[in-house]
Amino acid sequence: MSRSLAARYAAGDLRKNAGVDVALAVVLVLSAFLMATGAMVVERVFGSIDRLFEQAKPPHFLQMHVGEYDRAALESFAAEHPEIDAWVVEEMIGFDGAAVAWQRPGTQEAGDLADSLVDNLFVTQNAELDFLLDESGAVPRPSEGEVYVPVAYQQRFDLRVGDELEVTTDDGAVPLRVEGFVRDSQMASSLSPATRFLVSEADHAALEAGGGGAPEIIAEYRVTHQADLGGLQRAYQADPALPKNGEEVTYPMIRLINALSDGLVAVALMFASGVLVAIALLNLRFVIRGALEDEVREIGAMKAIGIRDAEISGLYLAKYRVMTALACVVGGGLAVAATTLLTRRMEVSYAAAPWELTTVLVPLGALALVYVVVVAICRGILRAVRKVEVVDALVHGSILGERQTARRARRQARRLRRGGLAAGRTGKVDVRLALADLRSDAGQWALVPVVFLLATLLVVLPTSLLNTLESPRFLTNMGMPRSDVLADLRFTDDVDGLRDDVLSDMAGDDRLTDVRAFAEVLYESPSEDGWATLRVDVGDHAGTIELLDGELPAAGQVALSTLNAQKFGVGPGDELTLRQDGATTTAVVSGVYQDITSGGDTAKMPATTPVADVTGAAGYAIHASTAPGADPAAVAAEYAERYPDAAVVPTEEYTRQTMATMTGALRNAAAASLAFGVGVALLITSLFLKLRLTRERRTRGILSAVGFSRREIVAQVRAKTLAAAALGTALGLLVAATAGELVVGGVMASANLGLARLDLVPDPWLVYLAYPLLLVSAAGLAAVALTARLRRADTSAWLRS
Amino acid sequence: MSHDTVLEARDLTKTFSSTDPPTRVLDGIDLTVREGEFLVVMGASGSGKSTLLYTVSGMDRPSGGTVTLRGRDLTALGDAETSRVRLHETGFVFQEAYFLRNLTVRDNVLLPALKAVPKEKAAAVARVDALLERFGIAHVAHHGITQVSGGQLQRASICRALACEPSVVFADEPTGALNSSMSAEVMDALTHVHAGGTTVVMVTHDPGCAARADRVVYLRDGGVVDTRVLGTWSPERAGAREDELLLWLRKLGF
Repeated sequence: MSRSLAARYAAGDLRKNAGVDVALAVVLVLSAFLMATGAMVVERVFGSIDRLFEQAKPPHFLQMHVGEYDRAALESFAAEHPEIDAWVVEEMIGFDGAAVAWQRPGTQEAGDLADSLVDNLFVTQNAELDFLLDESGAVPRPSEGEVYVPVAYQQRFDLRVGDELEVTTDDGAVPLRVEGFVRDSQMASSLSPATRFLVSEADHAALEAGGGGAPEIIAEYRVTHQADLGGLQRAYQADPALPKNGEEVTYPMIRLINALSDGLVAVALMFASGVLVAIALLNLRFVIRGALEDEVREIGAMKAIGIRDAEISGLYLAKYRVMTALACVVGGGLAVAATTLLTRRMEVSYAAAPWELTTVLVPLGALALVYVVVVAICRGILRAVRKVEVVDALVHGSILGERQTARRARRQARRLRRGGLAAGRTGKVDVRLALADLRSDAGQWALVPVVFLLATLLVVLPTSLLNTLESPRFLTNMGMPRSDVLADLRFTDDVDGLRDDVLSDMAGDDRLTDVRAFAEVLYESPSEDGWATLRVDVGDHAGTIELLDGELPAAGQVALSTLNAQKFGVGPGDELTLRQDGATTTAVVSGVYQDITSGGDTAKMPATTPVADVTGAAGYAIHASTAPGADPAAVAAEYAERYPDAAVVPTEEYTRQTMATMTGALRNAAAASLAFGVGVALLITSLFLKLRLTRERRTRGILSAVGFSRREIVAQVRAKTLAAAALGTALGLLVAATAGELVVGGVMASANLGLARLDLVPDPWLVYLAYPLLLVSAAGLAAVALTARLRRADTSAWLRS
Repeated sequence: MSHDTVLEARDLTKTFSSTDPPTRVLDGIDLTVREGEFLVVMGASGSGKSTLLYTVSGMDRPSGGTVTLRGRDLTALGDAETSRVRLHETGFVFQEAYFLRNLTVRDNVLLPALKAVPKEKAAAVARVDALLERFGIAHVAHHGITQVSGGQLQRASICRALACEPSVVFADEPTGALNSSMSAEVMDALTHVHAGGTTVVMVTHDPGCAARADRVVYLRDGGVVDTRVLGTWSPERAGAREDELLLWLRKLGF
């Protein structure tokens, strides 16, 4: 059969079923669009990060530290390890956002950075590694009086080159002029709790001398071969002379944290695409099987005149090939535009990813995957053409053989006998009729609930994940006690004295309730790689953590975060050796919890003495709840001002800011998923009803002939549609609450940030009321629109069709 | 309308505007059907017989004119009222067996009865079972519609038309798709219905079937061109009536 005939057939078919084909094409375009966008965003994210890492040379291993340290020990460590390619001790001075003010010369515009709750660290440019880069990718070296501000602040506070910045120290203000903006490979992620400002050596010295800032260091190392990283890390941890009062971070972790926020959006997009592809395939099956049934006599005739099965299938396949190819082209084009929008922030924060072969191949591969899957499934569905018997097709108009027809009739008769119209005591005949139709044509009607199930997952899961990340319960799930105000005490020499002051102040404050202090005590424990630091939070942990396994620790016991349980190779019931200042004790592991704070490496022990009496702790965390009517932000600001050495933040706001970019991007993805989910539900319901109503014309004619009004007939169609949509939505909610949580949790857990299990915290009003109503309303709208015309038709026209 | 007239059409027109140019299928027909009459409508294909039947039965709306059933103008009624008329006052037997395939034979017959009197289910069921018995299809009552013969289905169709005890039964070529023995079964059944006092209006091509009528009207190009009164049917005079009818039909160019 000639190609032109296939093309003419496809064109004729497209004209005949324009509405259905447009709906199918839209779903295919959306599938291709989202798949290509997701793939491109992933490629761009890693491209941007790789580019930034290439230019900025972030450390492969770093150790943060607060307090005194032995520089000679660091130098001898570096000398003893030839695998170190470069190293540096970066000295940083941390200032609270309120201490950094700005103004625009010649204008009235001014402000400060108090709204930002992350640490503002002033540093000088490094010589060999961990460079802060300007917008062009160059390594700027500010002169005296100049400052380079993080790009995140450029966007957030609308800072410009030429603005004046004033840092308030104990000795007065240090004036600086904004010379440019810097991108930071280590702290670019919105998840980073700190951000770096670049100043000259002289200004750094002035800030240090002025006082009021919190000094902190990072010992940073780059190795010649990354394979040596593990050994170096172990050697560092094993050396007692080296500074360790702070988090240790490795290169893969820096890379992961950077990729997570934007990568999560890409994952959400690809998830949405997967759902849409599934919906498109279900519809294709419905449409193609319907077309085969409707055109079985033509197929029979073609077979009778000797046209081969493959050629007949090819006639149908040609249309879907063209449709899918066009969808991929259009979806790919739209994806380029969407990716440009989505990656704009990424390019500013990281670097413009260079165009490489993979930039083109990755989205093309994604689109090719969509094309191949769709065409392969169509081909599979069209295998039914082979089974069509000429006689059955021409005489009985059936795609089934005689035996299959008889089998189906017997099956149907058995089903009919089970429940008749007169059976049972109650129920309007209209309802019984609708139920009988749903039962007998369950195979076709199943499309609606399955599509609504998938659409429900599409709209519910991203929103639930977003709500989870924004929920206060998430913090408890993730290892942080739930509170309104958090005071973190560590940047001072007399941390115990500061603790006493803050605790007594808070205890006497009417606005605060449930003040709870935790001491951070550093132990060492034997791991696979020798003695390793174990950071233990000591205090009353009742109600502050949710354990994955085991119980809260009692006296002589310790609970470990999942990462620490892995690191030390222990579980509940096992004994763990603890060493502090040379003295060794043992504690039984009581349970395991998940934690993303402090890099996920934490442990919890009960206080044997009141935390107020503990000495020698590395730091303290004091959590407090606010009394009704008290504003956590105002209380935190007041304490932060009173205790400059303490970092006091309103917990919820702090978390919100830390997660802001991630949740912001996820919010966009969730909004897009909602729009796509509801749109596709509307589209598919319309498509289904369009085909169904065409095939049900005779049934409507019969009902009308025996005395059903058009209004009743229309009501039956609408009720069946709504029931099917509601069933699918309910099932979707069930799946989202069970399997969905496992899948989302699994994806998050695979990031290995200390998250072993994610309990989704859906917003009940949105997830269990608003979204289901929206979806079912979409079905209702489609049903109303598609059935509106039924009221005007003649009964005989229905019967004769 | 005289007191024994059950159905009356005046200046009835029907135009299908979906064709280009629009087709005027009924062109100002006047027709009167008396209470208890068996009227047959004949005519060549495309003369408008079936359209006339669908229009006077309240299935389709005419383009012009009026249809009065027991004194009520059907053309003035809304959809809900027209459907009530179809449910309670008329029954319809089609040429093809139009049945819902997801119901048994019995449930298909029961459907209008349950719809008409939902609170008297037991009575409806008893009436329908009696009908199935009377028309000899009780043994296939619980079969699916693909499991019974064409003749049985048409008898079931008559049962369904009678399920709500209508005053008029319309039949559109009820034997058109059947062989001769099945045709006889169906015509016997319709004759039986008529003998019970129900008015029957039937469209047919078959002079043998038409011979059962009290009166035959002949349509050409959407208008009534002639009427033949045959009188009351009896099996003994069947052959003579058929000959008389054929002679008349030949004169009309049938």
